[in-house]
Amino acid sequence: MGTYGSRSGAVGMTAIYKAIDKVIVKAKKVAGFVLEVPEETVAFDAGIFSSTATNKTLTFPEVALQAYIAHKFTGAQLEPGLKEGAFHDPSNFTFPSGVHICELEVDPDTGRTRIDRWTAVDDFGTLINPMIVEGQVHGGVAQGVGQALLEGAHYDKKTGQLVTASFMDYAMPHADDLPPIQIAISSTPCPSNPLGIKGCGEAGAIAAPAAVINALTDALGHEDVAMPATPQTVWRAAQKSPARMAAE
Amino acid sequence: MYTFEYLRAQSVADAAKLLASKPDAKLLAGGHTLIPTMKLRLAAPKALVDLSRVAELKGIDKKGNALVIGAMTTHAEVADSAVVKSSIPGLALLAGMIGDPHVRHRGTIGGSIANNDPSADYPAALMALGATIGTNKREIKADAFFTGLFSTALQDGEIVTRISFPVPTKFAYSKFPNPASRYALVGVAVAQAGGAARVAVTGAGNNGVFRQAAMEAALGKDWSAAAVRGIATDAGKMVSDIHGDAAYRAHLIGVMARRAVAAAG
Repeated sequence: MGTYGSRSGAVGMTAIYKAIDKVIVKAKKVAGFVLEVPEETVAFDAGIFSSTATNKTLTFPEVALQAYIAHKFTGAQLEPGLKEGAFHDPSNFTFPSGVHICELEVDPDTGRTRIDRWTAVDDFGTLINPMIVEGQVHGGVAQGVGQALLEGAHYDKKTGQLVTASFMDYAMPHADDLPPIQIAISSTPCPSNPLGIKGCGEAGAIAAPAAVINALTDALGHEDVAMPATPQTVWRAAQKSPARMAAE
Repeated sequence: MYTFEYLRAQSVADAAKLLASKPDAKLLAGGHTLIPTMKLRLAAPKALVDLSRVAELKGIDKKGNALVIGAMTTHAEVADSAVVKSSIPGLALLAGMIGDPHVRHRGTIGGSIANNDPSADYPAALMALGATIGTNKREIKADAFFTGLFSTALQDGEIVTRISFPVPTKFAYSKFPNPASRYALVGVAVAQAGGAARVAVTGAGNNGVFRQAAMEAALGKDWSAAAVRGIATDAGKMVSDIHGDAAYRAHLIGVMARRAVAAAG
């Protein structure tokens, strides 16, 4: 059914986590047979199976091999192999949260908007790879800026022809449309999965259009501006607040 | 792209002969307009005559009070040229704003003006500077060369060889880029020479690059950004599209003209 939105970590990894727990349960049974001790006495820690009933130990690879060779137990005692599956139904959505601040400047003569600074503080719970998480935020902000200021599909009203049929007309955000993005992370583990993961894939794209348009409406002194807030749109919007523009 | 014959000219005379000998042949300069057009099958020349090896079409020289640039000189070469920077620095800046580095290392001044894209930068500079376009047949003044959207005074088989710019006392070009293509949505070139002013506008006019006479008259009396404030351009003669309607473009002409005058010093 696919991952939907930002669920690979929170839901997918939790399912893997549960499956691993089942693997350990079976591996302890195998270890019990191999060490010739009762299963309840077997412990697993830091990759080593041990038991209070013996001073012999087994590594995980040794137990895995034994699970498949099945010399130390019969098929009737335990089905050979070390393969488990688990499904996870999350008890709740996760709630990544954060604040993005966009500082921009409007050229009132042309309507051109220049984003001067971008500051983002996000809480994604447990991070797996902080560098990739920053990349996710960068990409999401870029897409959000595109939506707010640049991108729009236009169809000719009379013919239905797509006018923005190439990047010559469909304005994709370029590197020089964006400032350096300052990112800070605050990590509150998610309470509804054992890994504490909230997911981060959507934060940038959700926060960015709102941050940009809020900054624009703050600059313009009114809210009558639609996305994409192209130079032409912003120039016209700026005409409605001449006193504000002059005072700035 | 349809199949075509590729021919490499060794000289201007060779290129002219090849053009004449092949039906439906086109000259290939930098290729950044022609090749994409052929890939979209909007153009299907049966033969391409490549000018890239023709040495006599390259070169940037100062000859007396004229800056002479060979037709096959790339935008990157103009942008980096010490000769251009010392004689018409605004022209080097203009060339440095065309497209992106890849485009600038292939695109040529001759190719650009022969195409006369209504959003190109060079035509405005040539009009403002009163340049003369040299071909293998004659010399054509800029005012007569640019005749409309994508059209020039060049005859069939005529090859642009060099462009000669009289060095002005002041020149600058101010460009408001299309947010998507980065072509000039509106570009205004202003020049002062011999006490007179010339103002040329690209990107905005519905018949291509044009001179703004009212601004020229005002700047001729008083070379200052204030002098062109309030001088309107007829929106009825402007292009309208999703990036800028006619009224917006007409307004931007005033803004870019003031900025160009300020930049020219």
